[in-house]
Amino acid sequence: MEIVVCVKPVPEAETRLRVRPDGKGLDPEGVKFVLAGYDESALEQALLLKEAVAGSRVHAIACGPAPRSEEVLRASIALGADQATWVEAAAETADDPIAVARTLAGAIRAVPHDLVLSGKQAGDHEEGLVGAALGEFLGVPDFGAVLDLRFDPGSARLRFRRATESGQELWESPLPCVVALQQAWNDPRTAKLPAILKSRKAPIARVPPIAPEGAQAVTERFELPAPRSGAKMIEFQTPEEAAQKLVRLLREEAKVFP
Amino acid sequence: MPDFSLSPEQESLRDMARKFARTEMAPHAAECDKAGRFPEEIYRKAHGLGLMNLNVPTDFGGSGLSVLEQCLIVEELAYACGGMTTSIIANCLALEPILLGATDEQKHRVLDPFCADYHLASFCLTEPSGGSDAGGLKTRARRDGDHYVLDGEKCFITNAPHASLYTVFATLDPALKHRGITAFFVPRTAEGLTPGKDEEKMGHRASSTSTVRFERVRVPVADRLGAEGEGFSLAMRTLDMTRTPIGALATGIAQAALDHAAGYALKRETFGKPIAEHQAIQIKLANMAQAVHAARLLTWQAAWTIDRGAKGTLESSIAKCFASDAALLVADEAIQTFGGYGYMKEYPVEKLLRDAKLTQIYEGANEIQRTVIARELLRAYA
Amino acid sequence: MSPTVLVVGELHEGHALPSTVETIGVARTLAGTPAEVVVLLVGSHARSAAPELGNAGVSRVLVDEDARLDTAPVAAIAVVAAAAAQSLEVDLVLVGGTAFGRDLTGRLAARWNATAASGATEIQRDGSAFRVRRPVFGGRATETVRLSGPRSVVSLRPHAFQPPPASPTNPAVEPAPKVEIPAGLLAPRRTGIEPVASGLGPSLTDASIVVSGGRGLRAPENFHLVEELATALGAAVGASRAVTDAGWRPTSLQVGQTGRAVSPQLYIAVGISGAIQHLVGMVSSRVIVAINSDGSAPIFKVADYGIVGDLFQIVPALTQEVRRARGT
Repeated sequence: MEIVVCVKPVPEAETRLRVRPDGKGLDPEGVKFVLAGYDESALEQALLLKEAVAGSRVHAIACGPAPRSEEVLRASIALGADQATWVEAAAETADDPIAVARTLAGAIRAVPHDLVLSGKQAGDHEEGLVGAALGEFLGVPDFGAVLDLRFDPGSARLRFRRATESGQELWESPLPCVVALQQAWNDPRTAKLPAILKSRKAPIARVPPIAPEGAQAVTERFELPAPRSGAKMIEFQTPEEAAQKLVRLLREEAKVFP
Repeated sequence: MPDFSLSPEQESLRDMARKFARTEMAPHAAECDKAGRFPEEIYRKAHGLGLMNLNVPTDFGGSGLSVLEQCLIVEELAYACGGMTTSIIANCLALEPILLGATDEQKHRVLDPFCADYHLASFCLTEPSGGSDAGGLKTRARRDGDHYVLDGEKCFITNAPHASLYTVFATLDPALKHRGITAFFVPRTAEGLTPGKDEEKMGHRASSTSTVRFERVRVPVADRLGAEGEGFSLAMRTLDMTRTPIGALATGIAQAALDHAAGYALKRETFGKPIAEHQAIQIKLANMAQAVHAARLLTWQAAWTIDRGAKGTLESSIAKCFASDAALLVADEAIQTFGGYGYMKEYPVEKLLRDAKLTQIYEGANEIQRTVIARELLRAYA
Repeated sequence: MSPTVLVVGELHEGHALPSTVETIGVARTLAGTPAEVVVLLVGSHARSAAPELGNAGVSRVLVDEDARLDTAPVAAIAVVAAAAAQSLEVDLVLVGGTAFGRDLTGRLAARWNATAASGATEIQRDGSAFRVRRPVFGGRATETVRLSGPRSVVSLRPHAFQPPPASPTNPAVEPAPKVEIPAGLLAPRRTGIEPVASGLGPSLTDASIVVSGGRGLRAPENFHLVEELATALGAAVGASRAVTDAGWRPTSLQVGQTGRAVSPQLYIAVGISGAIQHLVGMVSSRVIVAINSDGSAPIFKVADYGIVGDLFQIVPALTQEVRRARGT
């Protein structure tokens, strides 16, 4: 099975967020970029399927700017990907999920692909749109929030679950298709030191960038929440009043009520 | 001009070690320290990922890293726990005499199986009657046909209760002083070799330390390292190689102490503001930061010197001595920054002081480092 | 370009999901007039579910009753939605940001050659474009994105918008434009559904809401107050170190410097004073609510909302109010 894994470099989880001087994005100064969390799971799942299905290969693809895209591709190779391709794109393009999907589709069409895996969403913009858009551009079915992905060689079909609000859906699908993964069978593996050293010298194919076409989604403003200035104390006569006021504030003002 | 930046390769190694340290070691550091527990499962993981036997060339199954690369890794591991790091790098110390003094046949025979699976090794030099005075060691090696027979006792040996391989320094004749000292490698299974019970230590409590008794232990001549009488030189050259990573270990502890202190100072408020805004604390933090930066750079420069092929005795002694003193200072000031909370075991900083202390004592006590520095220094003026 | 807004509805067991109703409310504010909101429903329950949308003020519902769409992948529904959007010549398609809605957004945008954004908490017109606000970086920041038309697909973050005011109408129900769904998109099949087991809260570090209890609860048998509130909110349960040290709850629940660090959307601290080692574990939560009888407790310095009172009265009242507000 030829498995393509789309990987994205994102700021590591502990990054202290700072706003760029122009106010339009995260200040990349000093930020360390790593493989997005769900992409790690996607890569892990790809490697597990490779181990389960003889003759399979894993091909990691990233679309984005240097050097962070190259770094996550090397990290993918260190984990066990057989080959890697980098489609160079400016950071702004990488911010528009539909443009990214279109670019990735162009690169994926040119290589063997039975199964295309990506993480459900990336830890930075968290749009979670690339997988579905990619499916459309490639003309194959796509599935989001997938868990427990299995391949049945007898029927040559995938069996998996999808996490939804009302429960888990059970699915089966023929190949080729796109899967946006929520969880692999295992926790992502850790690359061993010799593999890391070897990955530094591994070749990475480069695909020329495609100029963005069509309308773009452009980030105009990036804001951090105002620093906390002490609690808004809720006045009440009865506990019920306190409860009602709090729920209303959470719903209307804070917008966090479930 | 010197380039102080790390290559992408070096950064990958450091990042990998950091990830292992923060996710696998750090969560268990306090618990192992409290119980004095030897976390074998963590050491096995380290081995599985290639984080052990860092100095052993890949030909023999090790990771084949330069001293600088070892330092990058060791600092990250020590940031999470000094004790676990000591046990992990004790292999490097024990195997270095083999790398320096063994024949290729011996190296393959011993190192190939050792590195292929999880094994621990111990470097046996120190004795009850002499640590710094290594030249005066008393463990005897008597030639008997095609064997040597070892008798004596070693103490404060890292990993001894768990090791499968021991690198041992014994003398053929005390009258020859350091010229009688000969090195051997001995398996755990050798009859008459008895590790003692794990000592209860002030710090590095996740590491295991004990005596090793040798009672008529027979060692084949084929397991002697180098020539008779070459042992002392092998020991000194070994320490030349392993001294610098101890500087990195101390730097890791110091960095952890600094990070804890700075983080706390920004949150804790007294007299109406975060203590980080009080000058007394700012001066402390500044002194701590200076010490950490200097420790790291001295360590890097020593490593770079040795990697270029120089002996680097002066540089590595300065690095080890300075970094270990820095670790003690920074840990102490970190406790002071935390105030009363710093004195409580519930908080992580008092452990750092206990762990820092050992770095001033082992792998060449700082008093000896200073005499070495003076000697090397004065040589330039002679 | 017509000022009509198309909403793709989502049904569960024959009824529209609350996220669909919220989305209709937003569509009403963005359409030329509230009357210009069209809702698309698909599947064998589409026609029977259509009338209830009248309660949300919808006057026009398109239905595609193809039963195959009940178990077809979202990709197949996107084909129907694209045809509807095309025929209505809308410039905006909205959908509730559920798992279905998110997948639909990406698929539809690609098919219909539109720009897209997901998880919007605010959306406004800006000439021929739309401006969308959405949380990023796990809720630690917000971005404002301009979708510069001529077509946009946006999924809305569930629970971020009020349901529309009631204005009952009798919607006209029409067939959606007929469209051929490629066989390849109907080959995958949904073979079953396992409903969510109730009582199983999310894990502490994944949860978007955490309710934590501290020593203010006084005794282990009172901890159930925290657990009941958590269940009502669909939240994970946390505890302060004092509670776990005292053995009231396992250490796996401990939030704090030596326990777990969490950064959920909403953190409710019940009977927790706010010792610095606890704060360090939760201070990056997006919204913090503190309930404590001591008004000078340090927790109120980091909280966004505070209630100084008797938690033994406040918390049950809150649990009750949450249940009522969520309709559970």
